[in-house]
Amino acid sequence: MSKIEEVKANVEIGKPKIVPGLVQEALEEGTAAMDILQVMVDAMRVVGDKFSAGEIFVPEMLIAAKAMSKGVEVLKPHLAGEASTSLGTCVIGTVQGDLHDIGKNLVAMMVESAGFDVVDLGVDVPADKFIEAAKTNANVKLVACSGLLTTTMPAMENTVAAIRASGLNGVKVMVGGAPVTEEFAAQIGADAYALDAGSAAVKAKQLVSAA
Amino acid sequence: MLTKRQNLMETIRGGNPDRFVNQYEFLDIIMEAPLRSRPQRGQTITNEWGITLSWPEDQLGPFPVHDEAHLAIKDITQWREVIQCPTVEFPDERWAPAIEHANAVDRADKFVTVFFASGTFEMTHFLLGMENAMMNLYEEPELMHELIAYLTDYELRYAEQIIERIKPDALFHHDDWGSQIASLMSPQMFEEFFLEPYKKAYGFWKNNGVELIVHHSDSYAANLVPHMIEMGIDIWQGVMTTNNTPDLIKQYGGKLSFMGELDSGPLDIKNWDAKMIEEHVERACRSCGKHYFIPCLTQGLNFSSFPGVYEATSAAIDRMSKKMF
Repeated sequence: MSKIEEVKANVEIGKPKIVPGLVQEALEEGTAAMDILQVMVDAMRVVGDKFSAGEIFVPEMLIAAKAMSKGVEVLKPHLAGEASTSLGTCVIGTVQGDLHDIGKNLVAMMVESAGFDVVDLGVDVPADKFIEAAKTNANVKLVACSGLLTTTMPAMENTVAAIRASGLNGVKVMVGGAPVTEEFAAQIGADAYALDAGSAAVKAKQLVSAA
Repeated sequence: MLTKRQNLMETIRGGNPDRFVNQYEFLDIIMEAPLRSRPQRGQTITNEWGITLSWPEDQLGPFPVHDEAHLAIKDITQWREVIQCPTVEFPDERWAPAIEHANAVDRADKFVTVFFASGTFEMTHFLLGMENAMMNLYEEPELMHELIAYLTDYELRYAEQIIERIKPDALFHHDDWGSQIASLMSPQMFEEFFLEPYKKAYGFWKNNGVELIVHHSDSYAANLVPHMIEMGIDIWQGVMTTNNTPDLIKQYGGKLSFMGELDSGPLDIKNWDAKMIEEHVERACRSCGKHYFIPCLTQGLNFSSFPGVYEATSAAIDRMSKKMF
């Protein structure tokens, strides 16, 4: 197995103590930092797919993301001179009135692993805060709204409407969470719906590519 | 007509129930028993464990606050130094209302029931935050085993106190083990960390007079059913439709009974619809059948978030009993 393949394999199985050393070794062998980054992104895509398929669970996803994060720390100085690797910025939050965060956190983690910069607004986020963040952060391509409660679905609808009315042309909106469906997402004017964190990262990339 | 208790036993033993068990009717839950502090609507409190819980005014219930300032245990390696464990010793006057309630229950009709929350798994993520709790299962397994053992020991010490005073014959135990579509961890990981502690805890309750263990997890958890059976759960309350409950009943009926199949999410809403409730109840009862199944809203405890929903559901279940029995 090549070093870069070892990096990919150890991100997939979540080895945050091993991945940094492997990344360093791959760099010393002359592998381009961007190529190493890409295999880690590919590894997290596999992780996301396995999570969506029910083959792995929250602990495995979290530890894999940590492994990638540790690898990226080693890569960062080597990426400084490269053209931007970011797919854009994703603003994410749980909508107003809802304090649930684990789903949102998993999506943030997977979207970041897919190559986005993420601005995480936290929980109980009013619509105007989503809009402000989308306007004031650089290169915002996507706003992702999470909600777990049926009682906060109106807030999600209001948030999407407010984003549409705010003049943020070109910014895509993705929604998700337990009570949210594809139909509801379409009804409220969102650009996409994601069932879980794995598919959210896939959808995020699709939305940005299509733009 | 069978008493509620008798009817429940016939239902979960595959005998001859004479009607559907109607939600929580067989459990007389002694909510007066001292346990832990909980915020009221609109409040934020820090409880006896050092866990901060917030209940926004317009929301359905409280939620732990896990920003850096409010995490009860920030670093698992320091858990012994920082954990605040509440006492299980309460003065007689705190117990008095619970004892009075328990003494007033007709045990031929209902089970005198202890409510215990939060369960061991929930406590790990209430204390540590979900991400740390989950990652520590990989990164600090020994310390997580220690913390889980500590939390189990707390439960047993509490159990001793309440068993002595109210002599419960059922336990309603709250611990959410999944999201709506997946368990939060693999069955293998659950077995490694939580099976034996739960066997110990549920074994203790059963060895001390508790006849019925009702475990609440309003989630997907079908993949944990074998472990539920092994640890001694009699009824899994909160089983959501995502679990394919009819299939679970076919596979496991007789070893475990299933209480739920009426997902609170779509039914327990502000502008609730009696006709929709009726339709869901009919579907649930016809698809799950008369044995090993108790139709029930999946929310924990015997009330709904929006007034009238619980009662409308109960009325619909009574009507199904007339149709099907």
